Amino acid sequence: MRFSITGVNHNSAPVEVRERLAFDEHALAEALQDLKRRPGFCEGLILSTCNRVEVALTSDDRAGATVAVDAFLAETRHVEREWVTPYLYHYEDGEAIRHLFRVAASLDSMVVGEPQILGQLKAAYALAKQHGALSGFLDALLTRAFNVAKRVRSETDIGESAVSVSYAAVELAREIFGTLADKKVMIVGAGKMSELAARHLRRNGATQIFVTNRTHERAVEMAQLFDGQIVEYTRFQEFLPEVDIVITSSGAPHYIIVRDEMKKVIDARRNRPVFLIDIAVPRNIEPSVNELDNVFLYDIDDLQKVVETNLAGRMQSAEEAEAIIREEVDRMLARLKAREVVPTIVSLQEQFEQVRQAELARMRGKLGALTPEQEQALEALTKSMMNKIAHGPISELRRQASQPDGHHFVAAIRKVFHLGGD
Amino acid sequence: MHEMGVFWLRLATALYGVGLLHALAVLLRKKSGFLKPALFAFLVGAVLHLVAIVELAITIGHFPVDNFFECATVCAFLIAVLFLFVYWRYNFASLSVCIFPLVFVLTQIGASETPMLSWPSTGVRNTWLLLHVTMILLGYAALLLTAVASIFYLIQERQLKNKKKVNLLSRLPPLGTLDNLVTNSMSFGFVFITLGVIAGSTWASIETGSTWIRDPRIALAFVTWGFYLAMVFMRATAGWRGRKAALMAVAVLCCSAVTWAAHVGLSTVLAK
Repeated sequence: MRFSITGVNHNSAPVEVRERLAFDEHALAEALQDLKRRPGFCEGLILSTCNRVEVALTSDDRAGATVAVDAFLAETRHVEREWVTPYLYHYEDGEAIRHLFRVAASLDSMVVGEPQILGQLKAAYALAKQHGALSGFLDALLTRAFNVAKRVRSETDIGESAVSVSYAAVELAREIFGTLADKKVMIVGAGKMSELAARHLRRNGATQIFVTNRTHERAVEMAQLFDGQIVEYTRFQEFLPEVDIVITSSGAPHYIIVRDEMKKVIDARRNRPVFLIDIAVPRNIEPSVNELDNVFLYDIDDLQKVVETNLAGRMQSAEEAEAIIREEVDRMLARLKAREVVPTIVSLQEQFEQVRQAELARMRGKLGALTPEQEQALEALTKSMMNKIAHGPISELRRQASQPDGHHFVAAIRKVFHLGGD
Repeated sequence: MHEMGVFWLRLATALYGVGLLHALAVLLRKKSGFLKPALFAFLVGAVLHLVAIVELAITIGHFPVDNFFECATVCAFLIAVLFLFVYWRYNFASLSVCIFPLVFVLTQIGASETPMLSWPSTGVRNTWLLLHVTMILLGYAALLLTAVASIFYLIQERQLKNKKKVNLLSRLPPLGTLDNLVTNSMSFGFVFITLGVIAGSTWASIETGSTWIRDPRIALAFVTWGFYLAMVFMRATAGWRGRKAALMAVAVLCCSAVTWAAHVGLSTVLAK
């Protein structure tokens, strides 16, 4: 069995690629079913967020697994396989475990230490479990990853300072407007990230928040959070000239704010600056809008760059966190290696048992009928002998399993006892 | 110019002055409660203006466009009428920020062909001149601040647009703060320069009668003031910011520098 992770993230692929590869909730369920039917599949999990699309797999065939994932992504997302392959990274075994732990602990995040990724990973885990795509190994590994994330969060300061995409947005808003007092904000698409950003803006003085969302109920829910005003989704553009900050995170598959329209808005505002924050993937705002005077458009990648410059202070915590990850990965690998010798131990025990049973049968033939007491004594004698003989090799096998060149020892044992296989 | 005609013209100038006050108030406080009274005064001023022109025409027997003063008078009147029409037809009130000062200054020039009075004493004359110079200098200082702040605005805007930070310049104030600074310094500058121009032209008119207007350096001063007016207008109505505003501010600053340099040569005129 091989464990691998294949995917794209904000480092390996630009937003144009990620938005093509991202799965929405519905597509994710279908993709999981598809994945389960692929040859070589044992267990699988698909994580799809704005910044990463990753497929974690355990499979029978090492070579087959890699090939399957890029083909799988190409087929389910309707892109050319040759187009997507250069953006993919692929990790196996120890490297894959390390990557998974780093993702869970938010060390691989665009904003190192941001807390949302853990929730997203948990959601992906729940969905995979619901579709029966997880059984033993991956399930246990993910549970371990959640614990590692928890440990990193409690043992380092990684989540302490407010460096995050949403906070970066607030920082930029301050650099544009000076003060956020009496500024009006509109949220298009009620997502978690936009909620966070709006919360920050509100705390920093923004007076009025308009909320618009395709599903009305969600808009109502969100508007209640910061007594915002609900705007009909079909009419939200009429309100654009009034607002200074727009945060878009809707799931619309096309641009919902385009250049021509924004030109009219900025004219209607008599050139008062407007700050557009597009955290949606695929993007909601036409990128060329940024070329208009007095319009400042930041998409998720731009925010990332801003954040990167702010991240220097976090590097120390991140290093501490990496040390924790290393420790956890080593521990996990040791545990896995220990598991690897289990089949050898089992077959060794079976071998001994077979020998014992065979000898017993032979003995019974020679001795004829025995009293139950005699039978019992014979049973106890042979069992105790076998256990004593087996004890040495088995405990040594367990001990050697986690050693770097333990496999030599395992091979030797198999050979000595004629265990076959391998 | 005929006595009565000049009287009506001066009265019209005074009425236009209400409009000027309105425009300055708009620039400084962004809101002025007296657009309606200013418009009414402007309308009455325009009627008196017409009376003055008609009277002048009767006196000299033909349409009074013989010299610069008469032309300025007629031109100011036409602008006033045009503005009133545009206001009535399109309700374009914000144009008043530009038109009120323009008409006022033009009419004032027109009315200054014959000096209103002579200096009661040299002390008053010199104080008046000092007042003019002080106001113009204050205006220039504010203008310099405007230009510098506009350039900083431009740099900061570029940084935010290109999403890149230049280390050296990363400590610039926020755009909003720079914008406020530009608006305020420009408004104060405009108020001072306008008052300075009025003081200066009055002084020159009393001093030299009708000859001062032929000096190209004086004309240059008026052109500079006109540029400033245009800049203020573009900002107040169209909200010009960033590149356009910075270019404009630098252009006006250069113009002012040239005007100043030209006026250094005026000391011979000033000497008595």
